[in-house]
Amino acid sequence: MSAAKRVQQWATFARTWHIFDCKWQDPYQSANIIKKYLMGLHKPIYHPMNDCGDVVVCINSREIALRGDDWRKRAYFHHTGYPGGASWTLAWELHNKDPTMIIKKAVYRAMKGNLQRRHTMERLFIYPGEEIPEDIKQNVSNQIRQLRLVPQRLDHIPEEEVQQYPKVMEYPPDYVLK
Amino acid sequence: MAFVRRFMPILSRLVQNTSSNQHQKIHRWVAPTLRELNRREDKNGGKIISPRNTYLEWNLEAELFAFGKRLKEDFDAALLFQAFTDRSYVIKEEMKQKEIKFDIKMKDNRELAEDGYKFMDEYIDLYLQAVLPKFPIEGVTGIKNHLLSEKVLANISFHLGTKDIILAAEYPVDNYKLANTFKAIVGALYRSSGEERTAHFVRDFVITQLQGQDVNEFLHIEDPWKLLKELISKAGSNIEPRLIGQAGTNTLLACYRVGIYINKEMLSAGFGETVNIAKEMASREALKKLFGTQENMYPINFRLKGIPKTNPEMRYQIAAS
Repeated sequence: MSAAKRVQQWATFARTWHIFDCKWQDPYQSANIIKKYLMGLHKPIYHPMNDCGDVVVCINSREIALRGDDWRKRAYFHHTGYPGGASWTLAWELHNKDPTMIIKKAVYRAMKGNLQRRHTMERLFIYPGEEIPEDIKQNVSNQIRQLRLVPQRLDHIPEEEVQQYPKVMEYPPDYVLK
Repeated sequence: MAFVRRFMPILSRLVQNTSSNQHQKIHRWVAPTLRELNRREDKNGGKIISPRNTYLEWNLEAELFAFGKRLKEDFDAALLFQAFTDRSYVIKEEMKQKEIKFDIKMKDNRELAEDGYKFMDEYIDLYLQAVLPKFPIEGVTGIKNHLLSEKVLANISFHLGTKDIILAAEYPVDNYKLANTFKAIVGALYRSSGEERTAHFVRDFVITQLQGQDVNEFLHIEDPWKLLKELISKAGSNIEPRLIGQAGTNTLLACYRVGIYINKEMLSAGFGETVNIAKEMASREALKKLFGTQENMYPINFRLKGIPKTNPEMRYQIAAS
């Protein structure tokens, strides 16, 4: 193999590191996007027997958004294997225990159950906050676009800006705000 | 439909029967017999290959005539016979003749091979210079040396069917003798049909061996960056390398992409395991572009007629600088 062919091969199979911001994202819809990058489905060279998957780093997993009243209604099942060992944990309980667990389980569930799945999962890094280790940060060279815009909350807008915003009317001074 | 349903069990049984009949039966005695035959063969010192020319109905004259006709060339019969006579065969014959006190002079193919080699050497050089007008002369020599190497010539010779016709002391003949015979055939053709016919013969059988090969592999460049810089500065411009991409910097699979820019325009890009390798590969790509031998070049023209002329002005000089 000549040097030109060698580096061509090297570049073709290079692993790209992607970053994904989970803030205000639906974990189950995001999982389908993350899965594509993890398995290498976005590459023209993809083949099930071809090790071409990329690495995905998820940040802000504490800030995910579930649909409707999923936080209260969705239950995660676990069984210890012993009689009477079944347990159902609600989504909010699980999220309090481990803020990375919901996104991890969502990605795991999005992929087909085969021998490769656990190895592919090894290439997924999830961090609850914005801080990630420096050596991992240096590897990252691409960002995956978020599914939806992060809405801006009123209490996060500076006080002055709220005050200066044009108003239709002023409340009377004796009006009692609830 | 009811008819089909009623006879379904019978039909399915029929289908099953035919499929089981297709199973091939190999008798129990076959394997031990083959093993025994093999054992006896080994005991006698391996398989005996008898050369085709020891068979009763072998007719050398007819074979030589057919050889020329297969190639659609008109060889002089005596010259072609001489081209197929190896030195080892002449020595063997002389020893035999000494024993029976008999003397017939035989000519071997050394002289013809020398002629053929000289012709191929000159013609391939001219041809490559014509079809690769910007490629450095060192590269052209490299390609020529590859084409004229023993391995390539022996391969051509073998596939033209010289293996059984060559008159040599031993059988099967080695690569050296195959290659030598091919050179002698070219020499014989040169003497019998002239320059142009021979040139086309060499073009069709030797130069076409370049099909599908990367010609840049035959040009060895020690320091491509230095060379590129020299060539570009001669034209009055300056080049700068830029890191334009990287993946997995802290991992074993780190990959870098370096682009080479000339007047803020990208000339070429190269990948590598480190930045230095990527830079080197990028400069190699740039050199390929300058030499007109990049990945997406037009295929080499294998249809030039006659003997081409040289045109040294456009060629890049490496050694002179």
